[in-house]
Amino acid sequence: MHMADALLAPAVAATMYVASGTAAGVSVHKLRKDDEERKLPTMAVTSALVFAGQMINYTIPGTGSSGHMCGGMLLSALLGPYAGFLSMIVILTVQCLFFADGGLMALGANIWNMAFYGCFVGYFLIWRPIVNSNWFGGETKSAQRLRIIVASIIGCVVTLQLGAFSVVLETTLSGITELPFSAFVALMQPIHLAIGLVEGLVTAAVLVFVYESRPELLMDVDATGTAIGKRSLKATLAILAVVVVVVGGGLSLLASSNPDGLEWALFGNEDANVENMGLDEDNFGVESKAAETAGSIQESTSFLPDYAFPDDDSPAGTTVSGLVGSAIVAAISVLLAFAFGFFRKKKQAA
Amino acid sequence: MIRFENVTAFYENDKPVLNGVSFTEEKGETIGLIGANGAGKTTLMRTLLGLLPHEGLITVDDIPVSEKTLPEIRRKLGFVLQNSDNQMFMPTVYEDMIFGPLNYGLDREEVDARVDDVLTQLNLTELKHCYNHKLSGGEKRMAAIATILVMKPEIILMDEPTSALDPKNRRLVINTINEMPETKLISSHDLDMIWDTCDRVILLNRGTIVADGSAKDILQNKELLEDNRMELPLRFSNP
Amino acid sequence: MLAAGDSPVHKLHPSAKLVVTIAYIIITVSFSKYQLNGLLMMIIYPAFLFSSSGVTVGTCFRKLRFILPLVLAVGLFNPLFDRAAMIKIGNITVSGGTISMVTLMLKGVFCLAASFLLMATTSIDNLCAALRQFHLPPMMVSLLLLTYRYIGVMTEELSVMTDAYSLRAPGQKGIKFNAWGSFLGQLILRTMDRADELYNSMQLRGFSGSFTYADCKRFDRRDALWIVLWILLFLICRFLDIPGILGSLLLGGFS
Repeated sequence: MHMADALLAPAVAATMYVASGTAAGVSVHKLRKDDEERKLPTMAVTSALVFAGQMINYTIPGTGSSGHMCGGMLLSALLGPYAGFLSMIVILTVQCLFFADGGLMALGANIWNMAFYGCFVGYFLIWRPIVNSNWFGGETKSAQRLRIIVASIIGCVVTLQLGAFSVVLETTLSGITELPFSAFVALMQPIHLAIGLVEGLVTAAVLVFVYESRPELLMDVDATGTAIGKRSLKATLAILAVVVVVVGGGLSLLASSNPDGLEWALFGNEDANVENMGLDEDNFGVESKAAETAGSIQESTSFLPDYAFPDDDSPAGTTVSGLVGSAIVAAISVLLAFAFGFFRKKKQAA
Repeated sequence: MIRFENVTAFYENDKPVLNGVSFTEEKGETIGLIGANGAGKTTLMRTLLGLLPHEGLITVDDIPVSEKTLPEIRRKLGFVLQNSDNQMFMPTVYEDMIFGPLNYGLDREEVDARVDDVLTQLNLTELKHCYNHKLSGGEKRMAAIATILVMKPEIILMDEPTSALDPKNRRLVINTINEMPETKLISSHDLDMIWDTCDRVILLNRGTIVADGSAKDILQNKELLEDNRMELPLRFSNP
Repeated sequence: MLAAGDSPVHKLHPSAKLVVTIAYIIITVSFSKYQLNGLLMMIIYPAFLFSSSGVTVGTCFRKLRFILPLVLAVGLFNPLFDRAAMIKIGNITVSGGTISMVTLMLKGVFCLAASFLLMATTSIDNLCAALRQFHLPPMMVSLLLLTYRYIGVMTEELSVMTDAYSLRAPGQKGIKFNAWGSFLGQLILRTMDRADELYNSMQLRGFSGSFTYADCKRFDRRDALWIVLWILLFLICRFLDIPGILGSLLLGGFS
């Protein structure tokens, strides 16, 4: 889902920076009250772990293909929403700087799409209410385990749907794609439904393991299976309704407009299979490849006139004379550059 | 001076991991702490550092270890962790070395002077601006020792200082330990290293002290060691 | 390590490099999709940096070889959708789609190259020093550095586990369903213990919430000049049709 710089207009990118920056500011402020120095080492090693963990491949049963995780839900279940969000920012920043995964200018948008929803929506609207509810028969260990599974899966699916939808919105607003909005949505949502399901299953498996060995590590979960703060049935139902609408929307889109979405997403993952585990930029980023393929396709299908900067009144067309001129400029600058480099090397040798 | 008087320590609601431990370490002494896995060596150090609650009395220079005295106590103690990666959390060796002294309020110039002194003492000057994540295992261990020495602690605690080192680096660490004049408490399974560095040895088994005496007496006593899930050091075990 | 180099570009203040890189990306992206002429001019910046920093173009493309196809694939279908003729060179008609495809590809490549050059000439701690100067919360910067420090450690631990797994599960492509939870779960438990030990080690050295880093070089006149000149040049490239002027002068001479 990592967006490249070329997919965004500067104005949209700036807006997303402001939005993500505000959320980050609030998080930093909240954490400062909340014993930040105690949490810092935990956040750092956990982010490093999730970063490395994104390179693991999980075999999806019955398909022969594999998926991996992006970590927003996992981090907020382990660290809480604020610390989780800041950790995700750090992960995305490192990916952007060292692996060119997602552009520098698009970082604000990427943080919003991948970290904001996963941490805040995922935690406050899904994880906490579900884990604290009395679903599946209340206060037993197995009920709590089921709640963790359900919360993880719904959380990942919903937050990835929201993220994918934001990618569509941001690209459309940037004027990069002229693909009809509805078609674009129909393309993006089903792919991310599949990705979200896989991520949800992996997250659920991991969190259940943690729950069974060291339940005190999970947010809002009590070792004995007792919910920590009871939530009213009404609130839980309201949240469930939101979830159903979003998931249902995704599912119906999957069923109606793009039956191939699932296969495509899975195929995309298999195609980009990562075998090597080393911290190696060459083998980095599976999910982003599938998503960026999607991005590139919506990108490529634009055929309406381009969005222009408001202050841009220079003629947009390319002319023959212009091409000749720019070829000359390019040639001269490259030549100059090489000459410069050549002299520099000579100087060093001397 | 370290004093343990009938010290008992627990990890949450479990069996005691230290049970009635008593000993005194005088200034300038080097004590080797030996015992099988789970004997309580690391726990003993952690209680001394105030990282684990205890019953009984622990004093450092006659100051009892308690919540209130922790800052004072910890300033006197330097703890070299078994895993240097957990100790070296800053980007470079230099930044790691200034971390402790600056937290104790020393001014930057004095800290910089200390850093250079310690690096020269340990022959590590060329590592000063190296990235921690690029150091080799041996370099990392030596640098971790440097981050502790630069705080000028009175007592140095070391947890498995020679684990996972090749023979050359192991020898380097042993020599370094022998050149340090501070009071030292070293825990290890490497009994040959203990032999080379310590005059006195404390043998732990299942949380209690089974023997406390000179290295000569304990490390050559085959029966005692084997009764406590240990073996003679290699140099004495040849037929 | 590339960032440890010693060229004039490496020696610039990291803030200056960061500002120019961001300005470059923003201005490059803001070209409209048919403005191939103007966009071509933007090659000046990466070309200059490649030659003066000693970082080779080959290194850049080799490092980015897995991201690059994605960036290039972005505009591949444009010629199919946008067939309106835009320019004619002799008998060959070039469609708007082809132009926009090339423009998009170039934008992608230029932005990637600019980011790459920033990271290839700036070390992480210098970059973080710049971020601190931009008044990012110190906590975020420390978190970034701490995380960076442990990425290598965690990756190594994980790769050992993966090797151990695959050695006992020959022929499997990934981690099987029944081990999904325990595989990463085990590592999470150990990671939490590591975090505790890390925090202990900070506490034992008097940690009170602040980190001190080595000093970064001072921001001097050269750095300011670097920012001003480049941004000026970018703006000229963006708003003046230099290639057009040059080209018509040249072609005009022939006719």
